[in-house]
Amino acid sequence: MPTIGFAFEESIVSTPRLPIGRCTLLPLLDPSRMSLERIVSRVTSNQSRKLAVGKGYLDEQFCQVEDLQDEASPNFVEEVVTLFFKDSGRLMSNIEQALEKYPRDFNRWDTYMQQLKGSCSSIGASRMKNECMSFRDSCGQGNVEGCMRSFQKVKREHAVLRQKLESYFQLLRQAGPAGAATRPVM
Amino acid sequence: MAFQTQGSNLRALLVEDIKVNRMILSQMLRKFQVETTVVQNGKEAVELFLGGETFDIVLTDNLMPIMTGPEAISKIRAMGATDVMIVGVSVDANSMEEFKDAGADLCVPKLKLEILEHILQETRSKKNKSSA
Repeated sequence: MPTIGFAFEESIVSTPRLPIGRCTLLPLLDPSRMSLERIVSRVTSNQSRKLAVGKGYLDEQFCQVEDLQDEASPNFVEEVVTLFFKDSGRLMSNIEQALEKYPRDFNRWDTYMQQLKGSCSSIGASRMKNECMSFRDSCGQGNVEGCMRSFQKVKREHAVLRQKLESYFQLLRQAGPAGAATRPVM
Repeated sequence: MAFQTQGSNLRALLVEDIKVNRMILSQMLRKFQVETTVVQNGKEAVELFLGGETFDIVLTDNLMPIMTGPEAISKIRAMGATDVMIVGVSVDANSMEEFKDAGADLCVPKLKLEILEHILQETRSKKNKSSA
């Protein structure tokens, strides 16, 4: 009787070639070797991730980032996400200051937002990226109010995404490494 | 996914101002065991070539502070670096023409592992042919 099985999750964001589920292979060890708590944590963390993807917070690009994680870089995804939030926080602060100090300087505003958009795109932060694009459209139209409104939405999406990813990584940490076996729960 | 290296030893120059992008693209290249140098704008890239550095492939963003990707590509090509594979990476629809006009071999909107694998194979073939 095999002691290892795999649960391959169905994609909820369809892509032509690569369903998202391919990057969330869950080695489900024989329950007697993995604590129930870990199993629940692992399932819950994947549900959390599916929800983030399903509601459009993250797109397939996030899977590309996950694919880059390996034994040599076991925390790569979390490191990238941490860098993203640090860098995006800085960029948003620059934009906020620019909106105040340089009124109607759409070129400057757009340059800062272009960097933030690029960052969002790289990690698959699709909703945030869309709001960045709205801001840039408003810059192109010389629409100050539009810029202000979009920027508030960018900040909101940033905060929500941070919350979701923090929960996701917290659950992953609780779940522990995928291949880890533990003493049977007595 | 199995990452083919075929005795890689390719040397890449990554030109990218956004930190997150640098981290991700560097990791992609590491997967293929490509020796990678990273700079943050076109000017730094040009300076490396001026200093006599050679690369098999250059991967560059378009819009960067100080010097853009296409500006850097024009200068690199003007120096006589015609063999190096240069790939522009930008989601901006207008970038493709700018990159091509500057002398890039290829422009891709997003660099995915599968695409990078093909580009590196192409680069390797080109390198093998020119050293034969």
